[in-house]
Amino acid sequence: MENPALENEVMQTPPAPAADMRQNKPRRRRVRETPGDRAYYIITYILLGLLTLIVLYPLWFVVVASFSSAEAVFAGKVFLWPVDIDFSGYAKCFERSDIWIGYANTVWYTASYTLLSVVFTLSAAWALSRKSLPFRKFFMIFFTITMFFGGGLIPFYNVVSDLGMLNTPFAVILPGTVSAWNLFMAKTFFQTGVPDSIVEAAELDGANRLRLFVSVIVPISAPIIAVLTLYYAIGQWNSYFNAKLFLTNRNLYPLQVVLTDILTAAESSAGGDSMYENMLLANQLKYVTVIISSLPVFCLYPFVQKYFAQGVLVGSLKD
Amino acid sequence: MEADFFKDGPSAEAAPIPAEADPAKPDVATDEKTPLGKRIRDSFFARNFRKNWTYLLFLIPAVVVTIIFAYVPMYGLLIAFQDFMPGDNIWDGRWIGFENFTKFFSDPMFWPYMGNTFLLCILGFIIGFPLPILVAVMLHTTKNKKLSKILQTIFNGPHFISLVVLVGMLYLFFGRYGLVNNIIESMGGERFSFFLSEGVFRPMYILSSNWQDFGWSSIIYLAALSGVEQAQHEAATIDGASRVQRILHVDLPAIMPIISVMLIMSIGGLMGVGYEKVLLMQTEGNISTSEIIATYVYKQGILKAKAGYATAIGLFNSVINLVLLIIANTASKRFSENSLF
Amino acid sequence: MKKLIAICSIGCAAVLALAACGGGGGNREQNTVDELVEKYGYQWTDNSKPILNAEGAKKISFSVYSSKNTSADDYNDMKIMETLFEQTNVNVQWENVSESSYTDQKTLKLSKPDGLDAIYHAGLTPEEISQYADRGRILPISDYLQYMPNFSKILNDRPDIKRQITNVDDGKIYTLPRVEEMGLKPYPNLLFLNKTWTKKAIEEGNVDLGIAKSEVDSKLVDGLSLNADQMAALLTYFKNNDMNGNGNASDERPLSFVSQNWQGNQCDLFGMFGINDNPDHRIIKNGQVTYTYLEEGYKDAVQFIYEWVKNGLIDKVSFEQTQDSFLANGKSGEGVTAAADIRKGEKYGAFYWWESKTVVTDPDNYICCAPLKGPKNFNGKDYSNCQTVCVANTPEIDAGELVFFTKVPNIEVLLTYFDRYYMPEISAQINYGPIGIAFEEEKENGKLVPKQETGGKTADEIRLKNAPLGICYLTETEWENTVQMEERAQLRLDRLKKYVYPYVTQEKLGYKVEPIPNLQFTIAEQDKMDRYSAAIETQMANLTKFLYNGVSDSDWTKYIATLNGAGVGIEEVRKVYQAAYDRIVNGN
Repeated sequence: MENPALENEVMQTPPAPAADMRQNKPRRRRVRETPGDRAYYIITYILLGLLTLIVLYPLWFVVVASFSSAEAVFAGKVFLWPVDIDFSGYAKCFERSDIWIGYANTVWYTASYTLLSVVFTLSAAWALSRKSLPFRKFFMIFFTITMFFGGGLIPFYNVVSDLGMLNTPFAVILPGTVSAWNLFMAKTFFQTGVPDSIVEAAELDGANRLRLFVSVIVPISAPIIAVLTLYYAIGQWNSYFNAKLFLTNRNLYPLQVVLTDILTAAESSAGGDSMYENMLLANQLKYVTVIISSLPVFCLYPFVQKYFAQGVLVGSLKD
Repeated sequence: MEADFFKDGPSAEAAPIPAEADPAKPDVATDEKTPLGKRIRDSFFARNFRKNWTYLLFLIPAVVVTIIFAYVPMYGLLIAFQDFMPGDNIWDGRWIGFENFTKFFSDPMFWPYMGNTFLLCILGFIIGFPLPILVAVMLHTTKNKKLSKILQTIFNGPHFISLVVLVGMLYLFFGRYGLVNNIIESMGGERFSFFLSEGVFRPMYILSSNWQDFGWSSIIYLAALSGVEQAQHEAATIDGASRVQRILHVDLPAIMPIISVMLIMSIGGLMGVGYEKVLLMQTEGNISTSEIIATYVYKQGILKAKAGYATAIGLFNSVINLVLLIIANTASKRFSENSLF
Repeated sequence: MKKLIAICSIGCAAVLALAACGGGGGNREQNTVDELVEKYGYQWTDNSKPILNAEGAKKISFSVYSSKNTSADDYNDMKIMETLFEQTNVNVQWENVSESSYTDQKTLKLSKPDGLDAIYHAGLTPEEISQYADRGRILPISDYLQYMPNFSKILNDRPDIKRQITNVDDGKIYTLPRVEEMGLKPYPNLLFLNKTWTKKAIEEGNVDLGIAKSEVDSKLVDGLSLNADQMAALLTYFKNNDMNGNGNASDERPLSFVSQNWQGNQCDLFGMFGINDNPDHRIIKNGQVTYTYLEEGYKDAVQFIYEWVKNGLIDKVSFEQTQDSFLANGKSGEGVTAAADIRKGEKYGAFYWWESKTVVTDPDNYICCAPLKGPKNFNGKDYSNCQTVCVANTPEIDAGELVFFTKVPNIEVLLTYFDRYYMPEISAQINYGPIGIAFEEEKENGKLVPKQETGGKTADEIRLKNAPLGICYLTETEWENTVQMEERAQLRLDRLKKYVYPYVTQEKLGYKVEPIPNLQFTIAEQDKMDRYSAAIETQMANLTKFLYNGVSDSDWTKYIATLNGAGVGIEEVRKVYQAAYDRIVNGN
């Protein structure tokens, strides 16, 4: 969907008129920093440093707690390093074969959901961002209403069940492919970044709308595509509600549901001798599940990030 | 006001007025001017439609999905006006008019819950809205791009922590024998029971929520900032603008449209706070500040199976949000050119 | 706005179209009872014979939806289910979901059964039951009692159980209950005291507990009875000294509990002031529904307990901690791995809990005390004769355990099948696991006894894996004649008999105190209570707050005035409870 090669082309080769301007970028001028600038940078670095500490310590704690005995965690003995190192939480998770099935399911649910979502959202946002779209106001209201009103669980369940999607991946992938919030975000990007003049110019060249969208608009939209991909993908990766509601076949369970199952298994016991050990395991598992479910996506973030950090941006097309 | 709200600059003229309405009302023809004006508009609309109808094709997938999964189930809202139990047929439901609503309004706890919800949300918004923008600007302006990227990744981390773990950590850190109290004690202070104090609930809730999401929410602003033209910055620098001035006069104006839209949508979602985290943090000590509409709905709807009542309250909440959105949108349009519609 | 309406009508049309294609499904063979008898040999009178013949086992089947513990086997594979099929020839297919999925799916299944016949482990509240009953969603079981000999007998023998599960709006029964009466639940607390620490306090600290140093070993045994002043002196000593000898004098927690927990809570402390409090603050006293905090002495109790909290005798963490951290802190400590160092890990001087084994590493070091006696002089009053305990409203009868959908073909057969669950030996196996796995094949004195050779598994593990739990009928008669009580339950029962039961008798107290049983409310009554429930809940929370924030006499008066005020409706709600209780006692 996003082709890095294509973007680099837009960036580096002159032919496209839009990219032209960027190539005129003068050599980096070395400007001397004023004292005011220096003060700004110092304050910025201090604030960012503080934020980093505040964010990093609890994250570190989650990692450490997932390796420590829950007893030590409760007693407040775990502070910076693992205490009474204990892998039983991880062992409990990885001794189950369904965790790998869960991973596989989650990966392909997330991939297909994200692909659909981004395509649906991007194309709809593009249309909504054009002032000349017929019935534009109607469609805006149409999508806005979904931000506020929903029918509740039972009708939603009935619709999915009547469509014959119970116990199929579709029940997890299809509902929620279009979020009004993301749609309006993308629409704003297009609105501010792609003036009608560009479109008209392209149309004079005889490009039809689909070609225009695919070959001009999409390539210059890397940042918003990256944002949408991230927001949709992580949303789906972390979600479990639809799966829990619509899936009873264990082979279809996504990772989050498998992990919840492992956790509740440890939490529930009829009391008695094994209760205490189970309680400790359950409390350690809470941290372990965070690590297991988020580490892969966490590692992927930098790859997505580069699309908006170095991005060509719609805004730059403004004349 | 409503008509005003949906007015959309020049394209408002193109508002779809069905052309066939005209011949059906011959009496209007006595007025010379109206049909003429209408015809002009109709033809403008028709021309525009002929030229631009292909845009509609782009909307098809999104509209179809939205109709099926959002609009079709919306008939469920009807149960707000019924004495409904799961399993009842909505269409021959037990209609009770606005009884569910009046019951909620006459509950002695109605105003306290409204107040709690509103305070929690408004305070959360005041901190939670600007923080990601601030962070995005700071990250954007760091000179070391590599560091900036690493920090972005770190700041996203908390988003992946589940609510149960987050609240569990709050208990561990702020509990009576937790890290914070150990520090307080070692500095000669007295241990403080954060969870038993009703005053601490709101700050703790809001700050922990912000801790969890500020990095995640800043992504959209970072994306917007990356689109700010380098040329503008250079021109401003030559004019002798300082870094702060450039932020104020180049960066912020460039991302203002997205800020506006995010602001409008956030205000529209202001009262939409969920119940899960509040319930996890609720204790008898803080219930006087921590009981909000969402938790009340949960207790009524899920625990007591009063589906109609819970839906009515939810609907009431949605209407408040919608009104807030309309106000925010109108205001934004009046004071800047940016608006959602 | 027109568009909105247009959209809505499109939506509605689509739904109607969808609804039209849905539905159907019930194409199973429907028989009258006579046909069942004739074709499939249906019989319900003789418990020792199959319910259906072999033909019936093939042709008739049922589908039951049930949550199950994640550690449990699929119910279809459980030995007890196979045994039941062999004995009855009734083919029941179980559809198991995890407990967390069940919570999400419950209302959906109740609204759209999709071929299900019953919900086991339904866990419906009385409110849900009466609402669904009112709608005709669930089956009035009482219309079919003739096919349920065992259940009918229970209802005849125990009118109190019958009344607790009878819907008051129409006088019918909609659920099958779970009855496990051990006499343990109404008294949820026991007070445990650290023996070593107490000994040290007497010998080294000269704390006066009325025990001479020479008789420490003989007097510091289970059943020790202390009064409030002695206890305060002891707890103060615990607080100020490094009792566990780990070099830190501030990690000792003199008295701990988990506030408002269903057991191990603060309520026994009110016994010092002659009040039988519980987390609901509501009991039956001389047949009257009574709010404990309106009683004489409650304010004094609150102020007295606050003194203990203020002085650190009660660890304030007791009001904020969860059960998990309470348990973890009872066991953790520096170097507790070495047996000799166990003492160093101990943090708890005294605590309230169900039992002591799960709380502390060395339960032998903790003695089980009699309830505390009141102080000699507090606020100018003498409470030294007060000595009673919490009476909790946790009934040993679960009313909403099993419900049946209406319009189920051949429902009589399914009812007879579940009726067999109430036979004593089946009940025991449903509750603990099958004979051969959880129980020895050979009985002792006619009673089922736990299996000795378990292959290294604990009784709990066996039970979790092999027992479905759910509906059963185990009462005093069954414990005496059919099945031996678990060791753990027996130990607790013995303790209650010695250190708790004697302090709640009518002779001792001068009044009769009882827990509130399962009550059934009419829909009108429920509406009335709903109006006030939120306000009452919010006000009640203050009672716990007073324990750690304190309350002055004037604030207390003000608080009581608010409670009695019109907006809170406490008296209205009390009347509703009283009416419901009177129905239980007197019959309708």
